[in-house]
Amino acid sequence: MKWPALKERVMSHRFFIGEQATIAPYVLNHNRVFILPTQRGLGFVVLLSLLFLIAFVYNNNLAYLLTFLLASVFFITILHTVKSLFGLSLQKGQTKAVFAGEAAGFTLHINNPGDTPRHHVRITLEAGEYLMIPAHGKASVTLYSTTKKRGWHQAGKVTVASTYPLGLFRAWSPIRFDLKVLVYPKPALQESPFPQTAPVEPQQGFSKKGADDFYGLQTYQAGDSIKHIHWKAFAKGLGVFSKQYSGGSSADLWLDYDQTHGHSTEERLSQLCRWVLDAERVGVRYGFVLPGLRLPPDCGALHSSMCLEALALF
Amino acid sequence: MDLKNLMNAHPNVLIFLLSSIGLIVFPHISHIPTSIFVFFYVLLFWRFIGLWEPGYLPGKWLLLLLGVCGIALLYSQHQGLFGRDAGTRLFLVALSLKLMEIKSERDLYLISFLAFIVAASQFLYEQNLLMAAYILIVCCALLATLVCINSRDPQPFVALKTASVIVVQALPIAVVLFILFPRVEAPRWMLLNDKQQSRSGLSDSMEPGSISDLGLSDELVFRVKFAGDMPPPAQRYWRGPVLAHTDGKRWTRSANRDFEKFMDQPKFKGLRYQYTLLMEPHDKNWVFALDLPTEYAQPLSRNAHYQLISTENPDKRAEYKVVSYPDYNTGFITRTEYENATQMPGAPSARIKMLVEQLQGFSIPPEQFIKHLLNHFRKEDFHYTLTPPQMEQNPIETFLFETRYGFCSHYASAFVYLMRVANIPARVVTGYQGGEFNTVGNFLEIRQADAHAWAEVWLENKGWVRVDPTAAIAPERIEKNFNLDELALGSVIRFAPVSDNALTASRWLKQAHQLWRNVDYNWQRWVINYNSLNQSKFLSSLGVDNIKLMMYWMIGCIGVITAILSWMLLRQKQKATDRILRIYNRFCQKLAKRGLTRDVAEGERDFAERVKAKLPERSSEIGQITDVFIKLRYGRVSTPEDLKQFVQWVKLFKV
Repeated sequence: MKWPALKERVMSHRFFIGEQATIAPYVLNHNRVFILPTQRGLGFVVLLSLLFLIAFVYNNNLAYLLTFLLASVFFITILHTVKSLFGLSLQKGQTKAVFAGEAAGFTLHINNPGDTPRHHVRITLEAGEYLMIPAHGKASVTLYSTTKKRGWHQAGKVTVASTYPLGLFRAWSPIRFDLKVLVYPKPALQESPFPQTAPVEPQQGFSKKGADDFYGLQTYQAGDSIKHIHWKAFAKGLGVFSKQYSGGSSADLWLDYDQTHGHSTEERLSQLCRWVLDAERVGVRYGFVLPGLRLPPDCGALHSSMCLEALALF
Repeated sequence: MDLKNLMNAHPNVLIFLLSSIGLIVFPHISHIPTSIFVFFYVLLFWRFIGLWEPGYLPGKWLLLLLGVCGIALLYSQHQGLFGRDAGTRLFLVALSLKLMEIKSERDLYLISFLAFIVAASQFLYEQNLLMAAYILIVCCALLATLVCINSRDPQPFVALKTASVIVVQALPIAVVLFILFPRVEAPRWMLLNDKQQSRSGLSDSMEPGSISDLGLSDELVFRVKFAGDMPPPAQRYWRGPVLAHTDGKRWTRSANRDFEKFMDQPKFKGLRYQYTLLMEPHDKNWVFALDLPTEYAQPLSRNAHYQLISTENPDKRAEYKVVSYPDYNTGFITRTEYENATQMPGAPSARIKMLVEQLQGFSIPPEQFIKHLLNHFRKEDFHYTLTPPQMEQNPIETFLFETRYGFCSHYASAFVYLMRVANIPARVVTGYQGGEFNTVGNFLEIRQADAHAWAEVWLENKGWVRVDPTAAIAPERIEKNFNLDELALGSVIRFAPVSDNALTASRWLKQAHQLWRNVDYNWQRWVINYNSLNQSKFLSSLGVDNIKLMMYWMIGCIGVITAILSWMLLRQKQKATDRILRIYNRFCQKLAKRGLTRDVAEGERDFAERVKAKLPERSSEIGQITDVFIKLRYGRVSTPEDLKQFVQWVKLFKV
């Protein structure tokens, strides 16, 4: 068995890369909080040596006492700084899919079960946020990570740190939450008309116009477009109903990958993404076709998210 | 946090920092030149104004000019860069200039670090308990500003509390370090020579008015703690320099002192007094021992005039253990001593000779003559005063025949002079007499006002004998101290007893005063005077006698204190609800042994129903436990009895 090189082993220690967090609240305990002096802390050590020199040269007991007191304060601050993080529990909150180029927000919930307020907690993903968490209190923070490409985006490690109370030490804990978010393709900027769908021969007994004719009401089901909700009935307190339109597939829009024009796959996907969004905004039913995938015409949040997901992972 | 944001949101952080710096520097008012003191406070005040009117703060060029001003101020003091005074001034000027240029958080740290150094420099000037307490408080304030800088929402009072808590928690380790950290005296070359402050005190010469200058000084000279009995007040003569040579006006130490090897060994008898002397810093290496010291240790030595001399730096407080016998016989007189003790500035005048003649100085034995002379002082119109009239010419004669107002030095010099006229070897001894007894701490305090001069006469078969002519004219002077306020008025001292009423009124005040003096004595003795010698003495009494053991003890003590502190700070308090959950988990564990594990998402009630179906014989107990648990954990009202019941049921529950 070959041992990994020392450097690899050192660099793969959780000190550097952080610890993998699970779904359970991540509690900052003595194993997970690291501490080192800051630059100001090293400055304080220089101050201590200077004071010690003064006490030594003048053989002055009170100067000695002051030096020892400050050295002791320096030492005790280690405990206080660790305490400013100790016992906090962090939990990952909900994340929402974003379009490429947008910043993905990850919500973290921080719970302080202790009796002391945490005056100064800095939590960093790409940019830092300062928090103050009262005793027995909770705080939520949204950290942003910029996305570039469609697909699954994995945010890096989150660092929780504090220099409270004196700024001489910095206690921190690197955590690798499973901060994963789906990134949809960036919608094309340029508006382009929907693709022409080949007219389907009207079947017997159905009017051509009937495609948008009101057909009846049906109890709301998840995924129904908001635009089809019968708001008047809802306002009367009768419940949530969706309006159903007859006509079916006669004039259904088909958003097809092959009908997009673009130089590259990404451009085509962007175009397709734009169409999905536009179609959803207008509130028409649309079918979705990607090589190897065909979604029957529908509309609503569920349908659009299925389409976008397919686009993201294509 | 960005400094600008911090300052805009919480300007009181800077107010706090500036105020604590103002407080730290303030006691320097008596140590540094007024120009630098004013320079500092003008800049501090300027900075304060700058808080509200940032436009008034100096620009780059003005700042440069201020820097040049500061350097010019330092240069004009001609103190160089090193040493106590120069260093303090340098740090003060640097601090004041840095105050004008606060741009980032780093500057705030630099300023507070400089302020800590200025705080330490206060101790180079004053080391009393009050100063220590004052500096401790301002250091708390400085640390509180650091807390403010590191808080999201700074609240000065919360920060002050946090800082004080940290300081209080830091004290035990600081004390351990103070006691156990190996003390090494700085090597000689490292001592920075500062100009010695001139200190008042006895000098090695005596002019008629010299001791009366000290008469008004309340300054402490030394303290004495007796191991056993204390000598009566009339025997409390603390021996200082012996002055044998006179030019008729001024008394000095005799030039020829090389007779020690010819001297007789003094014999001691009677009571033995063992005591510890704690000398305050002074500028001479004299140690004032009780007349006559016999046992003493290094670095003390006794010179030919039976005076103790120390080889240690007298600028520091020092403690000595001495044994004295007030009853002694110094034996024969050497030739040099005799010559020194009968030296005359010239032939005595006719008036003097007549006086000695009249007192039968030339015919009767010395003892008789002494008695006659003391009687003469007592019977004639002699007065005792701190403010005698000026006697420029022939002070002894003027005093004896004309003014007749004098202080101890006048009496001593006149007495010794007359003795010498009668050919009796005599000399002036200076030192201190008496001392105030502190009943709280059981020690004597000897102040400059106790400075005294008396005479010593050599008598056949008795050796050197102490004679105090002042005692003849004012015996109360020897018995107790006089009222300094009365002396200051320049009046003739009357030793009228103070009325009882006044005594009771001032008793309480006096006790409080003595209590404070006692605290101060112990502070000086155990804190200020704790040096490498004391340390090794103290530690070896505890069985710690080498540096290795000292290190082990230091690390051990700090380890224990840290363990206690970490337990105190980092312990997670178990809340009552947690306890209930813990007990319920124990119940679940018991069930888990039978393979009945509760699902993470399964409610307590559902779980209970599922278990009841599997264990029908235990269903009532399971139901009880589940109900009371739900009541305790989620219910609004639960009584302590419920908890007790719950604990009991879970304990008894068996699967």
